[in-house]
Amino acid sequence: MIELAPNHKFGLPIATPVLPAAGVFGYGDAYRDLVDYRCLGALVTHPVSLHPRRAAYPPRIAVRGEHLLIHTGHPNPGLSAILRQYRDLWERLGVPVILHVLAGTSAEMAEVMDKLSGETAIQGIELGLDEHTSVEKALALLRSICLNSDLPVIVRVPFVGVSALASPLAEAGADALTLTSPPRGLLPLSEASDDEPLPLMRGRLYGPAVFPLLLQQLSYWIPRLPVPVIACGGITSIADARACLALGAVAVQLDAVVWRHPDLLATIAKELANDSDNATP
Amino acid sequence: MGFHCPSLVAWNMVSMSKHTTAVFREAHPEPPFWRVRFEMVNPPRPGCFLLADFGAPLREVLFPAALHTEGFDVLVPPGHPVQRLLPGESVDLLGPFGRGFQTEQVERLLLVAEAQLLSPLLPLLEAAPMVTLVLAAPTRALLPPAQRFPPSVELHLITQDGSVGYAGTLETCHNADSPLLEAIPWADRLCASCDPAFYPKLARMVRQQRLNPPPNFAQVLIQVAMPCGVGACEICRVQTVNGERRACTDGPVFDVLDFVF
Repeated sequence: MIELAPNHKFGLPIATPVLPAAGVFGYGDAYRDLVDYRCLGALVTHPVSLHPRRAAYPPRIAVRGEHLLIHTGHPNPGLSAILRQYRDLWERLGVPVILHVLAGTSAEMAEVMDKLSGETAIQGIELGLDEHTSVEKALALLRSICLNSDLPVIVRVPFVGVSALASPLAEAGADALTLTSPPRGLLPLSEASDDEPLPLMRGRLYGPAVFPLLLQQLSYWIPRLPVPVIACGGITSIADARACLALGAVAVQLDAVVWRHPDLLATIAKELANDSDNATP
Repeated sequence: MGFHCPSLVAWNMVSMSKHTTAVFREAHPEPPFWRVRFEMVNPPRPGCFLLADFGAPLREVLFPAALHTEGFDVLVPPGHPVQRLLPGESVDLLGPFGRGFQTEQVERLLLVAEAQLLSPLLPLLEAAPMVTLVLAAPTRALLPPAQRFPPSVELHLITQDGSVGYAGTLETCHNADSPLLEAIPWADRLCASCDPAFYPKLARMVRQQRLNPPPNFAQVLIQVAMPCGVGACEICRVQTVNGERRACTDGPVFDVLDFVF
């Protein structure tokens, strides 16, 4: 077993170091006909907020070469509806469930944690932060979770905020960090014409170009952080996953590549299991 | 850091029922498209879709243009990567996904399409004893030849430049003599594949021409990006009277009167 939260009183053990990233895998049942969930170390849910959120106005995706720019607005029906709909499924899923949580204020986060009290279907929290989150706000959100919940807390750190946020969060009690959430970018929309101003789409960047940026972050930060790091961003192959683990990541999260190759989760988990078996004397 | 997977053997035994392949058989020009034939067990119903891996970062949405006992046809634009396939080569597919057209027990079926989006309606040309197709294009050259349609189909053409049929567009097709307006009271089911910008207008036409149309009288296919096909990515959300819905799992065929415009 791999321990994602070695300093937590309950811990967060996972059987394989392969997880879907928040926002690509739904809430648990979407891939039931395409992925054997036993290959997952844990299910990381789609981002959930206290209150319902509507989808961003289209377009929500732009494709350029191998890269995707995505802006969904993290639509979700709100925490209560999600718990009603998925609690039973999560109980019998057979893998730990990590709820990816969004909150604007520490009071809102306290309300989220209050609703989660007594929930046995959830084994961990992944706190999602956007790129505008200050250190003070990030620490306040983390404190709010720790004060109001016994669950282990992973923080997904925004790409541009790693240098400011990673160490303070690790020292303030985050059990693990996910490095990183996708970088933000702009792309011209394909409908652009010559005689009009170039319409641009703003969104999160997915694709293989993110991977070297991820390795750069991992190689610098893993030796400097006192908590486990989960690698996330542009991982599209077993070689990519091995590179992340070789740099010291405890697990990898696969993002948009899952939509094209849902079987990649199982393939990577299986190959890494073989690596591990071969390495055992 | 060792870990042990208890069920590696079992992983290989689990049936991933939505991950499949189709065998490419042949492709031939059918201007302005190419018709491509695949062999596949359980091809999608009309209006349902497959996600095909042609090497791009996202899978491509394929709607069947014809269904056979042994597979299906799709229409693709010239230069599509499928034209590089050799007969017998496999294409990696996910699906079928989605809720398609419901045309059971329909006597008079009205199909409405813009020529470049006609393909998903083609499997319905013989889905009812009486079928009328209202087909719009900017000009005659962009319309498929009439002889491609079964003789039993009553064909009404609309061209923006008036080169053939009714002069105008679907959106401006609201005069009393317009073929679309005339056909709506006749039909007991309407299936459309058009630019979504036309659907508010279509909803108004249906409300004007039909007194209390039954649920699903007017079914419209919405073609939006559907990267995952399974309701995981939340990119294909559309607004309906019942709240936001996912085109990939709740659609891509919806009752036009359920849309919020």
